Amino acid sequence: MTASVGKRVPRNEDARLLTGRALFVDDVQLPGMLHAAFLRSDHAHGRLRAVDASTARGRPGVVAVFTADDLGDYWRPAPLLVPPPPVPGMVFNQCTQVPLARDKVRHVGEPIAMVVAENRYVAEDALADIVVDVDPLDAVVDLERALALGAARVHEHLDSNVAARVHQQRGDYAAARAAADVVITRRFWYDRGASAAIENRVVAATWDPRAEQLTIWDTTQAPIPIRNGLARMLGLAESQVQVIAPFVGGGFGPKIMMFYPEELLVPWAARRLGCAVKWTEDRHENFVATTQERGQLHDAEIAVTRDGRILGVRDVFLHDTGAYDPYGLTVPINSQCTLLGVYKVPAYDSTFTAVFTTKPIVTPVRGAGRQHGVFVMERLLDLAARELGLDRVEIRRRNLIPPDAFPYDQGIIFQDFTSLTYDSGDYAPALERAAELIGYEQFVREEQPRLRAEGKHVGLGIVNYVEGTGIGPYEGARVTVEPSGLVRVATGVGTQGQGHFTAFAQIVADVLAVEVAAVRVVTGDTREFHWGTGTFASRGAVVAGTACRAAAVAVRQKILDAGARRLNVAADTLELSNGRVFVTGRAGDPGVPYGELAVHANPLRGAVTAGVEPGLEATAYFGPDRGSTANGVHAMIVEVDRDTLLVRIARYVVVHDCGRLVNPTIVEGQIQGGVAHGIGNAFYEQLVFDEQGQLLTASLMDYLLPVATDVPDVEIVHRETPAPGNPAGLKGVGEAGCIATGAAFAQAIEDAFGGAVEIREIPLSPNRLFELLHAAAPPAPEVS
Amino acid sequence: MILSGTFTFRGPRALVWQLLQDPEVLVKVMPGAQRLSRIADGRYQGVMKVGLGPVTAAEFALDVTLGDLAPPERFTMVIDSKGTLGFARGTANVALDEEGPDRTAMHYTSELQIGGRIASVGQRVVESAAKAMTARGLQALQQAIDDRLAPSAGSTSS
Repeated sequence: MTASVGKRVPRNEDARLLTGRALFVDDVQLPGMLHAAFLRSDHAHGRLRAVDASTARGRPGVVAVFTADDLGDYWRPAPLLVPPPPVPGMVFNQCTQVPLARDKVRHVGEPIAMVVAENRYVAEDALADIVVDVDPLDAVVDLERALALGAARVHEHLDSNVAARVHQQRGDYAAARAAADVVITRRFWYDRGASAAIENRVVAATWDPRAEQLTIWDTTQAPIPIRNGLARMLGLAESQVQVIAPFVGGGFGPKIMMFYPEELLVPWAARRLGCAVKWTEDRHENFVATTQERGQLHDAEIAVTRDGRILGVRDVFLHDTGAYDPYGLTVPINSQCTLLGVYKVPAYDSTFTAVFTTKPIVTPVRGAGRQHGVFVMERLLDLAARELGLDRVEIRRRNLIPPDAFPYDQGIIFQDFTSLTYDSGDYAPALERAAELIGYEQFVREEQPRLRAEGKHVGLGIVNYVEGTGIGPYEGARVTVEPSGLVRVATGVGTQGQGHFTAFAQIVADVLAVEVAAVRVVTGDTREFHWGTGTFASRGAVVAGTACRAAAVAVRQKILDAGARRLNVAADTLELSNGRVFVTGRAGDPGVPYGELAVHANPLRGAVTAGVEPGLEATAYFGPDRGSTANGVHAMIVEVDRDTLLVRIARYVVVHDCGRLVNPTIVEGQIQGGVAHGIGNAFYEQLVFDEQGQLLTASLMDYLLPVATDVPDVEIVHRETPAPGNPAGLKGVGEAGCIATGAAFAQAIEDAFGGAVEIREIPLSPNRLFELLHAAAPPAPEVS
Repeated sequence: MILSGTFTFRGPRALVWQLLQDPEVLVKVMPGAQRLSRIADGRYQGVMKVGLGPVTAAEFALDVTLGDLAPPERFTMVIDSKGTLGFARGTANVALDEEGPDRTAMHYTSELQIGGRIASVGQRVVESAAKAMTARGLQALQQAIDDRLAPSAGSTSS
């Protein structure tokens, strides 16, 4: 049999998805199911004087109304999901979200009360019956003003709005600066964004009093940590709690193991009321109650020699963490680490301050802060190139980490608490390939001058990125050959469209020599597999995929051993093909099907040999020492309409390297989707908060997502530099598409205007571009 | 949101002042007002129903307190309204200038804070809607003035 890994295998899950038979949480309907709605704060910041739910409780159809006071011991701050990394001298003030606001509200959308009713209509009507007395406090919106003396404090037990401060350095930046021929200093702003998954969050739960069993369907990326946390908080054994994350319509980060208030309260209410309860987030709630990302203000500088060599980079930045910081420092640490990119930076001095604001909580969203680092570094290089009169590809070329330098230690600590060491990479060919494919030389020399002469604003952007992927701690998988001969794979990660049912199946199918379609994968059900962490940080294929492979290798040996017993030959005389065991070289042998071996391995009579486990099944785990670093180059050509300032993307090229490919089609889907996400972040999507902390763009009328016509077909080139840390050489790719888009966009637009405007912020929009262009050069008076 | 402007009524200042203090008149003048009653001197409570762009008409509890009364020249209104779709609160200053025996100029300026769903979904239209509502209200007040001034034998106001 030929290997399936590396091939464009059609996805096992698509038939179910495309015919509408896939189960999503909102499809869960149970007898007598009640429906929940949440009363949320209209104020960004205020003292909660009183909540009177008495009228709501009396409304026909209302089963229960809960406020913070009704939760008893269950009211407590949610767990810290990621502890801060062990960076010496760091400050971290832990303030995690609470199930329902008590005393204070800290952002618009924070839940104050929960109504459970016969249906959602009644539940929502009852929200209007609840009387909330809020004494408004000054909102904390602007990051610099949040740190000023006398600013209102989001958490009053702290003496400021500082959530964290981390300083990391390598080398001697002051010396690098002193030795530099040119130092470029700029301020950059990269604003917030929403993940905007098609499916909002949904939680359904039911308590079975006879089985004493709590079953929860949750749109989470990490069902096992949710199961563990809920069992602990509810005082139940882990075996009494089953969390199922079926098909999930997009995760992108905010659906990770957040312990959102709704995620804590729906199961609690189901158990307390002894019945099924469901809550489905609406789109407006998604804008104010689901976590968001971005909002960083960087004061950065780069010190370079006359010939464009980087001597050092210094960056001081503020990071908006929102009202609480349950995800620790992952996002700003990612920004801090990813800034270094594919470059040799001998001296790096980076300090960030995470700031509490009265805005929704910030946690990773696809890219998870990596795009901020890439944006700052790539912008600095563009500015340095211009200052030095160097070509922008050339300045990048001169600073790449060479292929013989791996493993390459960047000398600081990464989000997984290990040193930021790149495992492998080959950067120069990726840059050259992207420049060649986009036609860089020809564009700059011929095409752009010609189009400019025609009055067109066309520009090209070409930027590098790295993507830290595949971090630990571990994942596991169980592989079973069933009596039917079908292979069953269970793993703990959740799935949100990444093609796990195919990629994991391919990995297992190749080891066991069966068809990919004969491998049935189950993800995201704690009853099926109950060790693991979840789907995040571009780690599914690398970590869970490697665990699948290890379990399959163990099962392969069991098949060989069972075959040897059955055929009375030595195991090393056997080979596997097409789901059967054959004796090597025996012509015309029909072989023994695995199913038959599975039946014999699980006998009803006789004795299983001592030391032999029944069945053809094995469980294995994989925990990488450290992540694997993927990389790539984004290159794009844009044309900006001179009147409307709308941007048309003429071409978009991604040359990327995520190690060995499992399935190129799935990888391309990740990149195409990531680029769409990145284009949205760069040019369409913006969360606008007013001075009172009110979100002014909380609907899809005002928060513009790119539509199909805004997103070009990305031209993708795969390069494969194997990861040394796992046997298949895999690296992650989930975030590759969106990390570099903002930086590419900025360079391309700047280039389109021939340097008449300097782009130091994301997102842009036609409006913003108009303002920037007119601030740079006031329009000439109209001559009539 | 800041709303300010000047509107000149055809009518004597004393009458304009008197109508502005009368909840029976105000309930007709304030767009969307369903009811309004005086609960104390200078304090009114009621219910408004307001739709805004994509937000379907929803009820808001309204609480208005008049202050700094200097009849018939000026007063302030502290407005506090809230409903399931959010809140609006703020202060309005109203001054009446006698421009002639039958001409009264009203200068108004108000600063309103809008929050909740009406802010997050209706922001694009909230200012233009508020301006339109103010204009309609002032026209309605002019109508009330005209009705009062009309000879009793003439048209009725109903």
